[in-house]
Amino acid sequence: MLVNTYSRRIFSLAYQFSGTREEAEDMTQEIFLKLYNALAKYDFGRNFDAWLLTLARNHLIDEYRRTKWEKKSRDDFNEYTLSAGEVSNPEDRMLRKESRRLVWEGFNSLSAELRMAVILRDIQGKKYEEMAEIMELPLGTVKSRVNRGRLQLAKIIRDKKGGNP
Amino acid sequence: MKCAHIEEMLSSYIEDELPAEKRQTVEAHLDACPDCRSLLSCLEATTDSLSRFPQAQISEDLLQRLHAIPARRKRVRFLPGFLLRPSLQPILAAATVLMTLVSFYTFNPNKDAIDKSINRQLHLGYRKAGKIYSRAEAFALSLGEHKDNILESIKSTKLFGRSEE
Repeated sequence: MLVNTYSRRIFSLAYQFSGTREEAEDMTQEIFLKLYNALAKYDFGRNFDAWLLTLARNHLIDEYRRTKWEKKSRDDFNEYTLSAGEVSNPEDRMLRKESRRLVWEGFNSLSAELRMAVILRDIQGKKYEEMAEIMELPLGTVKSRVNRGRLQLAKIIRDKKGGNP
Repeated sequence: MKCAHIEEMLSSYIEDELPAEKRQTVEAHLDACPDCRSLLSCLEATTDSLSRFPQAQISEDLLQRLHAIPARRKRVRFLPGFLLRPSLQPILAAATVLMTLVSFYTFNPNKDAIDKSINRQLHLGYRKAGKIYSRAEAFALSLGEHKDNILESIKSTKLFGRSEE
């Protein structure tokens, strides 16, 4: 039940954060192991999604700090986007794919905290209030991290494109 | 207003979260500053790309491993549960003390000094035991001289209040 409901979401978060399928699979497995061990401590007054994402986020950041993933390369972007289908115009599709590739590669330049904030907000689509609960931080700090992460990514992309947005 | 200050507000600007007064300030600055306009375009392209990232596909192999976690935990839990049975606790405690002493002796840098000390204590023990044994022998010999008197005293002793016939 837990696996069917949450595995894809947790794996996506781990993959977007770590950038490699191998790391993401290991991390997902470890997160679920932690989840089963921590279920007895779950406070039923708390939102389960937020509680699970807090556990996942803490594990991913702890592992990142322990292993320093930023030195490793990310998976090839094309492999990641095989299932992405949108935008009818081929030119727009190419431009958007190129933008996503630059963003995907730019993630490695962000610190763990900024990367996590951007992923939760812009890819996972979390509200700031939910993020504050997941990240166990004040709302203002969360917004500041999202802003700084986005700006860093935007500058990386601007530099790679040679100043053209 | 300086560009750095405007940059801090760009994320809230694109999310339409700025108060009207600050929004006008940002727009006035953007009209006059091509660098910040370029950064804003990159920021919008970045958030647009991020929002179109697809969820990563989870492999069947990982799903199977995740489903197997609860069963694996039960197997792993058998061992500590068995070892924590109350009847085994004195044995485990004694084994722990023994192992601690053995490891203290084995890995002690002054092992030779400990060996000498143990030998000395054993030697002293043997000598004491020898003395006690020789004293016991002398006492037994001295008893032999008074054997007849002792037997006579025992015979004349009243047992259970009955008189000797």
